[in-house]
Amino acid sequence: MWNVLKDIWFLFGRLFPYPTRPGLRRIGDPDRSSPVLVTGNFELTVRTVIETLERDGIDAWLLIAPSKGVNVWCAAGGGHFTTDSVVSIIKTTGVEKLVDHRRVILPQLSANGVNYWAVKERTGWKPRFGPAHIKDFAAYIRSGKQITEREHRHVSFDLPERLAMGTNLGFNVSLILALPLIIASFWVAGLWWKTIPILFMLSVLSTVLVFWLPGKIGVQKGLALGVLTAATYALVAQTALDVPPWSLVGWSAWILAVSAFVGYDMPSWSPLWRQDAKELILGVRTTHVAIIPERCINCHLCDIVCPVDVFAHNPETKKYEVANLDACEACGACIENCPTEAIVNNFREGVCACPTCLAIDGVSKLAGKSRKSRQPEPSSCTEGECGCD
Amino acid sequence: MSTLVYMKLLEQTPAKYDRGMRVITLGRVDRIKREIAAGWVEPGHSVLELGCGTGSLARLMTERGADVTGIDISEPMLAVARDAAPAATVMHLTATEIERLGESCFDRIVATLSLSELSEDELDYVLHASARLLKPGGLLVVADEVVPIPLRQRMLFWLIRYPLAALTFLLTQNTTHALRGFERRLEDAGYRTVSTKPYLLGTLALIVSERA
Ligand code: SF4
Ligand code: SF4
Repeated sequence: MWNVLKDIWFLFGRLFPYPTRPGLRRIGDPDRSSPVLVTGNFELTVRTVIETLERDGIDAWLLIAPSKGVNVWCAAGGGHFTTDSVVSIIKTTGVEKLVDHRRVILPQLSANGVNYWAVKERTGWKPRFGPAHIKDFAAYIRSGKQITEREHRHVSFDLPERLAMGTNLGFNVSLILALPLIIASFWVAGLWWKTIPILFMLSVLSTVLVFWLPGKIGVQKGLALGVLTAATYALVAQTALDVPPWSLVGWSAWILAVSAFVGYDMPSWSPLWRQDAKELILGVRTTHVAIIPERCINCHLCDIVCPVDVFAHNPETKKYEVANLDACEACGACIENCPTEAIVNNFREGVCACPTCLAIDGVSKLAGKSRKSRQPEPSSCTEGECGCD
Repeated sequence: MSTLVYMKLLEQTPAKYDRGMRVITLGRVDRIKREIAAGWVEPGHSVLELGCGTGSLARLMTERGADVTGIDISEPMLAVARDAAPAATVMHLTATEIERLGESCFDRIVATLSLSELSEDELDYVLHASARLLKPGGLLVVADEVVPIPLRQRMLFWLIRYPLAALTFLLTQNTTHALRGFERRLEDAGYRTVSTKPYLLGTLALIVSERA
């Protein structure tokens, strides 16, 4: 019963913290050579990790690090799942007495808060970034490789995930808009209770159909969906219901507006895109990671942590380059983990960086991004050090 | 954008944190800090503060002539603390790494409203580690929310604490957790309690214990 209630809650309130007890859990029947992996203490994450590993027949030691009850990626971005969390959980669980090796597998999506080099220095353990999604963990560990396959580093946004994010998007936008809508209902009777279901429906539709809707991500896709929905409504209202023309026009316009708003908000609920209002309005790029070639020591780490495959290796210069800037969704993982500060975010060039503008396009999480973790002096890459094979 | 709104709302800033701690202790936190500095710290003492936050206690203790080392994991807090208590050594270190600071080298280890931020495993680890850090006869001085053991007092505790916690969250989006079974944990880590002083009908306590 309690679990069903929790599941219902997670369908809407994933954004809110839901902590579970940090500590060590045995998965299957682990021994002294079994892998040690880390996750955050968000109840839903922990449950998914345990269920997936058990289903895949993995024996492992799972370290649940304190992340304020928030999921790994958001917690890492928000400063709650950091190098400190990893250091702390390795030490307090006494896991070193349970295994003979000293390798710890970190979630790839913690790389925007966890610094590889600092974990290594402060714990004496060899960190590895595992796959982006726990469903690929079995394939990763059975491959015996130290670094993840390229396809396992990509974040995906498949249908079940999109459905869940759609309901969460609807719930949170409704919460934010509830008060203004209720106030507006004094003038337009029934506005709020008619709008909320529309909001929910458009939220779910826009996330589920995102790959098929025309336009660039965000407002454009929202508008496309809005035109479709408003047209359907107008058709039904005119043929089946007896709606006066002015009401029909008004509601159609309102559906369009709500859909544009939902479409605008949708990227912040996806793992693939950043919010793009300013790019849309001003036609300028607001995120702009760049590598200073002289500083790159070819450690591969930026490529390993990037969840959307922005970097590529140049075999001639033996350095990494930004190859697919459009895909960058401003997570900051590469900046956090580059040992020589070779990666910079110079999006400020020619773009207003005032707090309001930054808030509008939602990239502020990267704006002030500087290393949060204490970082040791990097050694230049020696074989096996960096995670490369 | 909706995610950004919530992120901003839940974001911790040093000023918000200080306000939150004042609300949840109904302002007692400042008085307790003054009491610790005046009553439990002597000039010349070497003191370690776990979770120094914005540095208000560190400042009071350095003013009293103690040699203070403050640790915290929040960079924004540390930045404020460095300004507030320039005479103290303030550094980024997790409480689970304090053994790096040496052995038997502190006269006092103090922690106000910070041990309750730790998970239970972390708390036990830190208590054991701090016992090794104290000089013989050194004292551990802890001010924190504690859950009383006797049932009637425990009910009273929740009666007072829930509204206060809700108010604190509403005003500053801060939450705290109260220490459970703290006296037993202290004993397990090799401490002997020297004095316990309750505040706010026993929901808050200043517990001083000695390395046995
Ligand atoms: S992380 Fe930095 S040093 Fe390493 S390959 Fe990337 S740019 Fe080069
Ligand atoms: S390039 Fe962009 S998406 Fe990739 S790790 Fe860096 S900030 Fe994140």
